Amino acid sequence: MKLRHAMVCSSNQNRSMEAHAVLKREGFDVASYGTGQHVKLPGPSLREPNVYDFGTPYKHMFEDLRRKDTELYRRNGILPMLKRNLGVKLAPQRWQDNAADGTFDVVLTFEEKVFDAVIEDLHNRNHVLLKPVLVINLEVKDNHEEAAIGGRLALQLCQEIENTENWEDSVDDVIMNFERQNHRKLVYSISYY
Amino acid sequence: MAGPPAREQALSLLAAANNHGDLAVKLSSLKQAKDILLSVEPSQAAEIFPYLVELQYSPETLVRKYLLEIIDEIGAKTTEHLSILLPALLTFLKDNNPTVAKQSIVTGTNFFCVVLEELAFQFQRRGIVERWLEELWTWILKFRDAVLCFLFEVRPVGPKLLAIKFLEIYVLHFTLDSNGSGTQNPEVTIRQGKAFNVSWITDGHPVLDASALISDANRYMCILLDILQSASSFPGSLTIAAINSLAAIARKRPVYYKSVVTALLDFNPSLEPAKGAHTVSIQYCLRTAFLGFLRCTHPVIAESRERLLKELRSMNAGDAADQVVRHVDKIMKNYERASKDLKFAKDDHLSTQLHISGDATKKRSAPSNNDEQHNSFDASSKRLRYGPNSDTTTSINNDAGQNHVNGIFPKLPVLDVDLTPVEQMIAMIGALIAEGERGVQSLEILVSNIHADLLADIVITNMKHLPENPPPVAKYSNRPGDSSTDPAQVVSSNGSATSMQTSDLSAKVHASSSNTTSLPFSDMSISSNLSTDSKRDPRRDPRRLDPRRMVIPIEAPPTSVFEDNANAVQLAVQTDFDASSSFIPPVLLPPSSIPESTSPLLMPTNETDLNLSELEVDLSIPEDEVQDVNANAFSPDRVTNNALLLSPSPINKAEEPVVHESMDVAMLDEAYSPSSQETDPFSPDTEAAEISLAELPVLPVYVNLAEDHQRNARRLALERLINLYQNSERTDLKQTQIALVARLFAQIDDNDVIEMVQKRIVSDYEQKKGHELVLHILYHLHSLVISDSASSAAAVYEKFLLGVAKSLLVDLPASNKSFSRLLGEVPCIPDSVLAMLDDICTKSHSGADGDRVTQGLGAVWSLILGRPQSRQACLAIALKCTVLPEDDVQAKAIRLVSNKLYAVSYISENIEQFATDMFLSAVDQRFSDSLLSQSAHSEKRIGVQVESMETSISGSHVSEPGISETSTSVIQDASMDDSSSVFSQSHRLMSLFFALCAKKPTLLELVFNSYGRASKAVKQAVHRHVSVLVRSLGSSYSQLLHIISNPPHGSEDLLIQVLHLLSEGQTPPPDLVVTVKHLYETKLKDATILIPILSAFSRDEVLPIFPRLVQLPLPKFQTALAHILQGSAHTGPALTPVEVLVAIHDISPDKDGLPLKKITDACSACFEQRTVFTQQVLAKALNQMVDRTQLPLLYMRTVIQAIDAFPTLVDFVMEILMKLVNRQVWRMPKLWVGFLKCISQTQPHSFHVLLQLPSSPLESALNKYPNLRGPLTAFVNQSNSKTSLPRSTLVLLGLASETHIQQPQVTSSLHASDPNSSISGTTFT
Repeated sequence: MKLRHAMVCSSNQNRSMEAHAVLKREGFDVASYGTGQHVKLPGPSLREPNVYDFGTPYKHMFEDLRRKDTELYRRNGILPMLKRNLGVKLAPQRWQDNAADGTFDVVLTFEEKVFDAVIEDLHNRNHVLLKPVLVINLEVKDNHEEAAIGGRLALQLCQEIENTENWEDSVDDVIMNFERQNHRKLVYSISYY
Repeated sequence: MAGPPAREQALSLLAAANNHGDLAVKLSSLKQAKDILLSVEPSQAAEIFPYLVELQYSPETLVRKYLLEIIDEIGAKTTEHLSILLPALLTFLKDNNPTVAKQSIVTGTNFFCVVLEELAFQFQRRGIVERWLEELWTWILKFRDAVLCFLFEVRPVGPKLLAIKFLEIYVLHFTLDSNGSGTQNPEVTIRQGKAFNVSWITDGHPVLDASALISDANRYMCILLDILQSASSFPGSLTIAAINSLAAIARKRPVYYKSVVTALLDFNPSLEPAKGAHTVSIQYCLRTAFLGFLRCTHPVIAESRERLLKELRSMNAGDAADQVVRHVDKIMKNYERASKDLKFAKDDHLSTQLHISGDATKKRSAPSNNDEQHNSFDASSKRLRYGPNSDTTTSINNDAGQNHVNGIFPKLPVLDVDLTPVEQMIAMIGALIAEGERGVQSLEILVSNIHADLLADIVITNMKHLPENPPPVAKYSNRPGDSSTDPAQVVSSNGSATSMQTSDLSAKVHASSSNTTSLPFSDMSISSNLSTDSKRDPRRDPRRLDPRRMVIPIEAPPTSVFEDNANAVQLAVQTDFDASSSFIPPVLLPPSSIPESTSPLLMPTNETDLNLSELEVDLSIPEDEVQDVNANAFSPDRVTNNALLLSPSPINKAEEPVVHESMDVAMLDEAYSPSSQETDPFSPDTEAAEISLAELPVLPVYVNLAEDHQRNARRLALERLINLYQNSERTDLKQTQIALVARLFAQIDDNDVIEMVQKRIVSDYEQKKGHELVLHILYHLHSLVISDSASSAAAVYEKFLLGVAKSLLVDLPASNKSFSRLLGEVPCIPDSVLAMLDDICTKSHSGADGDRVTQGLGAVWSLILGRPQSRQACLAIALKCTVLPEDDVQAKAIRLVSNKLYAVSYISENIEQFATDMFLSAVDQRFSDSLLSQSAHSEKRIGVQVESMETSISGSHVSEPGISETSTSVIQDASMDDSSSVFSQSHRLMSLFFALCAKKPTLLELVFNSYGRASKAVKQAVHRHVSVLVRSLGSSYSQLLHIISNPPHGSEDLLIQVLHLLSEGQTPPPDLVVTVKHLYETKLKDATILIPILSAFSRDEVLPIFPRLVQLPLPKFQTALAHILQGSAHTGPALTPVEVLVAIHDISPDKDGLPLKKITDACSACFEQRTVFTQQVLAKALNQMVDRTQLPLLYMRTVIQAIDAFPTLVDFVMEILMKLVNRQVWRMPKLWVGFLKCISQTQPHSFHVLLQLPSSPLESALNKYPNLRGPLTAFVNQSNSKTSLPRSTLVLLGLASETHIQQPQVTSSLHASDPNSSISGTTFT
């Protein structure tokens, strides 16, 4: 495994964590982030989401929600998801604050908005290392089922990139092959560290 | 140091790295060699470099890569001997392994930056460039060319991506950063982490030629654009990288923006025959680039906003684009607001600085800060202010930018793009004036084309530079000699702060030459900044003036001022009469005076002077014109205004040095020498001054006026100005008018004037900027108060503010925000206004005033937040309102205090204290008499409300009857004594406290603690509040738990009510249940407290406490019963109705220590609920119980009640009775009575059963109920049962002759304990 991967969604809970879990299981060097201002989880109604700061441990959220309404959060899959997450890492992390985590070779985002945020953030950083980074957007709906599918696709995509000699040379082919095989639209961009 | 051994060691290690067979050994020896190289002296290490370079031919990729890293590290340490290593970079660039090639570009780029900076600074510091550095630079250039070639060779894409990045960096380095820090010391900037910029390259650099490099950058920019053109032959990733780089360049260097954006807009990836490139991504990349541009606030970029938006919409990215635009707008607004404050602070700073002119260090620290603010501010704000109409200004902007790029003015900070449009215009006008005759014509054209706004800005900018005191006429002619001292004065009066800004850089640029060339401009930029700032927020500048006024003594005696004014006036009048179209020269004069003008610090007196002169003008205008105030022929006046404002400046300027000579000397201790003034093509000041003076008209005669006339004139002028102000459509004049009105007003402290102004202003407050005008007047008055505490301005201020505030209240609808805005922005709030506010909030009783109260409270709120001075007073008003008897006022006030103010940390404590005091005074019934009398009229209403509430409560059987009972009784009492008044009193006083409890439930502890000692009426009030409060608490009830777990003595009633409320309409929360259970088990053995949570109890939990529940007063038991039967949604009811009945019957009076009466009452209570305890329920319960070995005591009673309640149960009851007969009911004395009673009541149905009795019990039954005998006999006769009946029965009924033998048999069987006998008896049937 020569490349470092980052999985990014908006809250670093569902899609990115699903992909993180899958890739981690397969032995990839992977991290995951969210680009939102806060970590948002569904609440009793659309208008009252549960909002946490990035850095709040998954375990804390798990216990908080279990205390609030075990039945509801078990039924809507939040508690199982948090349980999965706390087995993967300690707490959700914010992409914009990840400068200390070192550089990544491949960044996979799961939503156009997130993709834009990552690109914008990378463009605004000081490019001192001059290390290219490939950012790919794979659109995945934010629900448990789609996230599971998205996780598998992310794995497949990362494996294909990993299998190339130099991704810079073949990124177009990899992307287009992947699109053909999975009938998914991808968008990629290139930035630098 | 190590010396030769180190060298030997390194060489052997390098040899190993080159020749050893094992890769691991090679790498580790290389690593050791690196450690040695980095530890020894650079010169020593350099000796080894040639051997190191040999390794570049190593066949091992890893070795080559590692070698590159070593070179990189060495380069980071010292650059001096790098030229030996650099050729290796070129070799590596062509390396077959892309990783090595990539690393080579990265290292090369790093070296490029380092060497370039070194080159620039070495020359700056020492004036020479060392040879090694020069050599290094040639290598870097070779490297650059190699990278360029590389881009177009057939090579792996990875390194090409970096090559593009290298080009981007190169272009950025060699393009002037127009946003940036041109005036800052480059080395400081570098240390701050900013990138190198070509503007740092000093002129005359032996190696670096700035203009050549700039054109070079231009060329590379074209190459990048070319890549875009021929994108079809490149892989997609390369195209994307190119687009990104171009976008980055355009964002950072707006000079290139136009060409980049044109190229990007023209570029259409879908049209190109894509050679395996991912078109969607390229398209998306364009989208990202455009969105990025939208985020930029640079004027050049902002200009093409529309075009970008259109393009983005066509890409289906309209939403994203709109979002970005909104976001940017928001940021800009915030930014502008913030920078206003910054500038504000800066004003202060500058003014203070002027007075400590000797302290050089202090000054040195300030300018860089100021500069940063000002740089960043300008770039964003000028677009905002001059957006639609600044064609001229932008063109200047662009020109300036272009010039830089082409290297024409690379070292002239004068035309830097940082200048605001006003500054640029002034500079331009100045330059034209400097051209003399030739310039006048173009000047005229220019001025006629300037947009009104801009023109007004220019005028006002210059107004601010008028000198403090106008010159005496007599000295008018001596100016040519003075002009030579002017520059010195400039430097001394305001240069001390402003010139420092440029001095750092200019010291570098013209190390030995004079600074004056750049001074006038930098000076100008600062001062005009100040003025534009004050223009945008007019009330700022009067406020700013106060301290300065106090510091600077006004030197000229008043009389002379007057005299001077007259001159000015007459000059102005002259201009006015000359020709209205020829007012251009006066407009143009001020720019020339800018360089000579004093700092803004001298402003106030100037403006006051102007007012005076304005007055005089009105006088000197023919009488009929004065009369004609209301006519709309104002155009000449406008001209007059303009001319007036501007024309005095030349005179003043000329005399100023004389007046200020003493001050100048004091300030001249700075390093600027007066002799340093040199005429410079770019400095128009001296010449311009002369020209302007040459054009001055002749002064008219000065007219002296009597006191009365003066006052009258002032008044007329004021009236006229206000009229003008209101009718004028020209916003550019308004600023001036506002300022004039303010000052005129301050001079006339006459009641009717105040009223007049007030009426006029308020009449169209909204549309005509009345607010601005009022504030301006107030600020001016306030500044007078501060400067001279003895003046009458304070009274005028108060009167005027009060008057305006009142008329705003009266004239404008209550929903209008003007009132609170006025109070929020005036300089200070006198007590009388606070008293008025108090009145609005507390004394308006009629219904229509409700909105006024809201308005008043709104004002109070904003004052509390915005005015620390008035905070306590306003808070007192708000708090006072919270205990007012008027319901709506009180409600509004409480909402304000609890929802808005309580959240504010610095007053929450006060609020809490007040609320607590009020609460305690209610509890202890310490009502003040006034409060009592106030409440008299409202108490009745509250009483009615309470009553209606109570009825609604008792209507629902879930609520606790106990409390409603007590409260109803209180209500009944209320008519007799004054407890109703006490109730309403305490209810009112507590409202705020309970509203706070909703925010901070822990406060409730006080309620619990003091509840015990409160009177009945107070308790009732508490109950009312608590019911509302607890309902609103919702999920935050948990904070109550610790109070619940340890309730103070005497608070049981309250506790129970709270518990009821908490579990009302829902399953009691588990933690509440646990707490209450624990309380019951430990401290409070009162089963009442369990009632609310019963629904959460399971069957096994309820049964043990059931007797205790029955023991409670009947109403409480009923409630408990309801809770038990209701149960929770999850678990269902704790007990079914059947189980309840059985449980009641299971209670044994002896064992459980319960009076029988309680149990019967409980039973009756059940029977009352016929919908719950239905026929079926009763039947089932009775059936269950009859099979018990030990029949319950009340069994028969219940049976009788059942049959009473449900007559249709009769058949079922007969079965029961039959079973009882079988169980020899006559042997159970307590039941037997009931049995007989039941038989008697249910006849004739019960005759069957009766006949089944053995004769002896039958006999006793008939004896007990003799009236049964007849019907029974008749029944037996009618029915055919006679034959089947035992003979003894028949005998008993007198239907058969009796034998005395049978009698004992029956008796014996009656007494026989053997059940067989009864069985045999039954078998007869």
